[in-house]
Amino acid sequence: MKRRDFLKLMGLASSSTVLSACGVDKKAEKLIPYLVPPEDDTIPGVPVYYNTTCTECPANCGISVKVREELPVKLEGLSGHPINDGSLCIRGQASLTRLYHPDRIRSPLRRNTQGQFKPISWSDAYDQMMQTLGQGGQHLYLAGRTTGTLSELIDGFCDERNIERLPEFESYSYAAIKEANRLLFNQSVIPHYRIEDADFMLTLGADILETFVSPVSHATQLARAKKLGQFLWYHAEPHVSLTGLQATERLVIQPGSETHLLRFLLRYLLEHVDYARRLPDAVARAIPNVSGEEVSAQTGIPSEELNQLARQFAEAEKPLLIAGGISTGHTSGLEVAALAGLIQWMMRMTDIVVDFSRAENDANVGTMLDMGELSQRLQEGNVGVLFISRANPMPNVPASYGFKENLRKARLRVGLSDFLDDTMQACDIVLPLSHTLESWGDTQSRKGLRTVIQPALEPIFDTRTEGDILLQLMQRRTGNTGVQTFREYLFTRWREKYGEDSIESLLHKGYFEDSPSGEFVRLSGTAAAELLTTASDPVDFGKPLLIAIPSLRTFDGRSRVLPLLSEIPDPLTTISYGDWVSVSEQDLRSNQWQDLDEIELTIPGGSIRLPVKTQPGLPGGISTIHWDMLKPLMLQVDPRTGESICYMDGVQMVSRGVSVPIPYLSGSSSQEGRGIIPDMERGDEDHDRGGPGMYPEHEHTDYRWAMVIDLESCIGCSACVAACYIENNVAVVGPEEHLKGREMSWIRMEPYYEEDGSAEFLPMMCQHCYNAPCEPVCPVYATYHNPEGLNAQVYNRCVGTRYCANNCPYKVRRFNWFKHERPGPSDEIQMANPDVSIRGKGIMEKCTFCIQRIRAARDTAKDESRKIQDGEVVPACAQSCPTQAITFGNIEDKRSRVYQLAHSFRAYRVFEHLGMEPGVYYLGKSEARSQKSEVDRGHQEDSN
Amino acid sequence: MKSEKVVERTEINYKEQLERDVLAAMAKPNRWYWVALGFSATCFLIGLISWGYQIKIGMGTAGLNNPVGWGVYITDFVFWVGIAHSGTLISAVLFLFRAKFRSSFNRTAEAMTVIAVMTAGLFPLIHLGRVWFFYWLFPYPNQRLLWVNFRSPLIWDVFAVSTYLTVSAVFFYVGMIPDLAIVRRLTTGIRKKIYGILSLGWQGSLSEWMHYNRLYLFLAAFATPLVISVHSVVSWDFAMSVIPGWHTTIFAPYFVAGAIFSGTAMVVTLVIPMRKIFSLEKYITLDHFESLAKLLLLTSLIVTYSYIVELGIAFYSGNVFETAIFKYRMMGDYKILYWIMISCNSLIPLLVFFRKVRRSLPSLLIISLLANVGMWFERFILIVTSLAKDFDPYAWGLYKPSIIEAGITLGSFGMFFTFFLIFTKVLPVLSMTELKEEHE
Repeated sequence: MKRRDFLKLMGLASSSTVLSACGVDKKAEKLIPYLVPPEDDTIPGVPVYYNTTCTECPANCGISVKVREELPVKLEGLSGHPINDGSLCIRGQASLTRLYHPDRIRSPLRRNTQGQFKPISWSDAYDQMMQTLGQGGQHLYLAGRTTGTLSELIDGFCDERNIERLPEFESYSYAAIKEANRLLFNQSVIPHYRIEDADFMLTLGADILETFVSPVSHATQLARAKKLGQFLWYHAEPHVSLTGLQATERLVIQPGSETHLLRFLLRYLLEHVDYARRLPDAVARAIPNVSGEEVSAQTGIPSEELNQLARQFAEAEKPLLIAGGISTGHTSGLEVAALAGLIQWMMRMTDIVVDFSRAENDANVGTMLDMGELSQRLQEGNVGVLFISRANPMPNVPASYGFKENLRKARLRVGLSDFLDDTMQACDIVLPLSHTLESWGDTQSRKGLRTVIQPALEPIFDTRTEGDILLQLMQRRTGNTGVQTFREYLFTRWREKYGEDSIESLLHKGYFEDSPSGEFVRLSGTAAAELLTTASDPVDFGKPLLIAIPSLRTFDGRSRVLPLLSEIPDPLTTISYGDWVSVSEQDLRSNQWQDLDEIELTIPGGSIRLPVKTQPGLPGGISTIHWDMLKPLMLQVDPRTGESICYMDGVQMVSRGVSVPIPYLSGSSSQEGRGIIPDMERGDEDHDRGGPGMYPEHEHTDYRWAMVIDLESCIGCSACVAACYIENNVAVVGPEEHLKGREMSWIRMEPYYEEDGSAEFLPMMCQHCYNAPCEPVCPVYATYHNPEGLNAQVYNRCVGTRYCANNCPYKVRRFNWFKHERPGPSDEIQMANPDVSIRGKGIMEKCTFCIQRIRAARDTAKDESRKIQDGEVVPACAQSCPTQAITFGNIEDKRSRVYQLAHSFRAYRVFEHLGMEPGVYYLGKSEARSQKSEVDRGHQEDSN
Repeated sequence: MKSEKVVERTEINYKEQLERDVLAAMAKPNRWYWVALGFSATCFLIGLISWGYQIKIGMGTAGLNNPVGWGVYITDFVFWVGIAHSGTLISAVLFLFRAKFRSSFNRTAEAMTVIAVMTAGLFPLIHLGRVWFFYWLFPYPNQRLLWVNFRSPLIWDVFAVSTYLTVSAVFFYVGMIPDLAIVRRLTTGIRKKIYGILSLGWQGSLSEWMHYNRLYLFLAAFATPLVISVHSVVSWDFAMSVIPGWHTTIFAPYFVAGAIFSGTAMVVTLVIPMRKIFSLEKYITLDHFESLAKLLLLTSLIVTYSYIVELGIAFYSGNVFETAIFKYRMMGDYKILYWIMISCNSLIPLLVFFRKVRRSLPSLLIISLLANVGMWFERFILIVTSLAKDFDPYAWGLYKPSIIEAGITLGSFGMFFTFFLIFTKVLPVLSMTELKEEHE
């Protein structure tokens, strides 16, 4: 062989090796340039944003949908939106996975005689419905909460076809609050709570940061209120909730004794506050005068704390009181809501912070009593067609109603949904609804605010929107209704309301907000007095007591179908997949149970078997279960309000002697004295950074990216985790892999409990250390310190020794143990962010500080011949954070926010003594807290 | 005159007997040999199949997880490197020290070294997530201008292990050349031809012996520091990290002592049955075993001392992370393994202090087997516990080896014994020339 030939062959061989050596899995795709560009001006690689509305829960936050190559890739909070102002919660982030879920209903279904669903055409489905609609019987329309134009259309449809529109079904109907407000103020609504305008807040049971009314709105406002200055927040609850753990002061209250506390506060405030309104005499007489000691005994709150609460409440300039959630979920819930309403009126909160002029628009939402009535009517057998749209009452209505059995008695059950949930399984015809991202529409979740729903893509499956279905049904009857599609219907309505010219700006902005009416509520003295005189006694629950609580991750179970929300652990227990009951440490010890032992729970009305998990801080005798894990729903209903009673006493818990393997991701619920979140009192913070290193210093010419996370702001809501999963194509691996400890999250929420039951939450991700221990150990330079201070990971270069992960003190590196499945609707359509490569097996991965976003910002800056400005790069986690706890920027720039925060007196870094100089700074407990702890210390010294 | 002749006769008898005995060991194998070889080869095959499966499906087939990124594979690696140690130690170091007892089993020990290093060398590959790119660990010139990271102890490993393998193999082979010539002389046909090539035309002339002795001495002197360096480098895989329980300066000497301990134990484990099977009682005597047992005892004491120092430093440091990890080792999830390790490595070898025990082959065999078990667990404890509970309590997690890891570990023993059994049949298991020399 000639030398030349040899070289040629070698060149060929080595280049083919290099070509085949790309370790990142990708489908073989042909790159064909556009000869004829698509009509909608899609430019490959350039994202388009649409402003629309999230419908994962009834809060209806505004979202901005990032669309790449005609597929939505990410949802982000719509900046400036009156509800969520740029943030989005964990469920809202995960809502995108609903669009791409492989189990969505793909076409209309009809149950055949064997009870199986078979696909049918839309016109067949319509024909069958029309046929039954033509026959006798009372036709009913049951929907989940519906606002905006769709609600008008449903009214029109129901009028035309002589269908009775039922009160809407929501598991969390806030019935007690609405009933109390109806009695006191003649307004059956939930007001809008303006937390940002308050300087003091007392929340009773309301999980304002998880599911209560509008959690993202509350969280963003809370962050603003805290930033404005001194903000005191007391939270009273009988159990432990994520919301409660965020309060300045968390009071553990005897279950059901909130009335005592409120009566005491009302009396105290009446006496001590100058600006308080005088209560009508009849009302004042109806409220018993109680001493602090009595109330302390009744509520279990120590009298010093009680007095401190009352004093600070009275001293506050703009106090806010919110009662709700489980504090109104018992038989004296109406009294709790009414007393809270009275205090709100008396303390003039109803003028500003408890805003009825922007009240939640849920007048159509019924209560559990309405469902009882429906069940009754179904049983009577006179129901013709029953439409059930966007609602899953079956698992969410108390089992005692017999709804499941009675549902069969309707002549035809028509379900409208996107998934075959329990209720849809019981229907005869199931019509697939398009995802919100495939739909036109609007919502009016609160008075004066209209938000736009506009499609970001064509429907993936043969699905339609509810509006289109109703219009088509109407057309079938009359031949022509004048409008063809719901879009046209919608635009006509918008034109009527806002004029022709404003439509474009409405679509562009995504919402329209009226100025508030400025009406104030008036107290109906007689009704209030009557309510209080006939008040039922505060409840005294026996123990053991089981409390059904709402779930941050699944709401009332509606988001359970999204695997991402099971992949991300519950922030309190860190359980990811599976159902469980949280029990106190005391009960676990006294019953000699172990974590994850299976327990048979017997409640009046039924029994279930679930594993137990300790919840630090939970008082003895109290257990909690997430609402959607209580199957069947064994709840009672308050006959006065229709509110579900979420307390179940007389629970028997018997160990079955077996253990249920469900994964919980935290290795320890305590910091083990390691100063991860340093306590100023304890002084366990170690700032010793070791000596100089052996290696030459890094040079950062323009940028050194760094992050600051304010732990005082962080509420542990895990929205950042969900955002990261979706932005970075992080694999969802399922329960088996979680049990083996192989979750892939790039950012995780670490809860650390103290002995007193308080907890701190710490988001942990790659710390992008200056002296990163992962870098020198990699034999092939797959991880290295890049010139911008990032700890970069080169996927293609990685051979998978896992040495870097071993050597990482934060254990944030994730190894791809397998080629992860990414189930999607079809082979062509996959949910993936095209800016981030999908990692193949055998490769290490980790947080990149969203390097793709840095690159995008740099490209823009380069086009404009400038440097990247402060705040221009926002990683996905920071973007989603409802409390703006995460700040990202260039720490080389001394004017940047990140530089200033990193040099504040609260800044510290985790495991600083290792000398690795992490690029992620945490801001520890604030002054308010340390002052409070000084007060506590003072008390202790006094008592000593 | 007569007595002199008798002496000469016995001398010749001894030499002939020796040659005959060694050649007999290389004769056509009996049934038990085939059974043993078949069993070992099956185990080896199981290991290969397991590895293939792992490559196809992914590293997830092992029990590894997020905090514990290294487990049985790295344990096996350190274990086999440790086993590989005594070969060179017994051969080279004892040669330099003119320790006579060496010549009875230096060949076995050297063979063991070469085979064990080969086995060990596979494990860094087995544990790679993308083993098909293993060559990226070598600094070879390429057009992409990619280079390896010389700061990484894994690269040091690559060099240390490959150097050790090369030097051990050369040392093994050079020491065997005169013996191969003897085999050439005593065999016929194709075997004669092969051994002829292998013996490199050795004639046994004075000048050859002179050069040979110089070379052997030089190689022995060259190999000796490697005994220290290889295992020191292996220990730096851990010591260079920041992980509590790994990041200690005592690791290098501690690992070297541990390696010699386990290697000596492995020599005892192998030589006792080999001596019996090939009837070499005359050449490998109880005195030899007693010397080995003393070496075992010495290294066991050093290892025990290291354990104590490690604990002492951890608790004396007041460092919460260090203290926690050593408490965890003794009282945590893996405590049973820890106490097995202490028993096998520190307590049971103390029995060797009794003369009766160290002159009894059954008890020596049991002690040496236990020492091997204990040393395997030592590496496991050291690797796994430190990773399972390091700095961040949230990230703590347990590791349980999978069936695939068990299969590959079994396969490594299968490979070792397969190669060792082949060695006993194709190469002289005793150093005939040296034994002759010693006899004189």
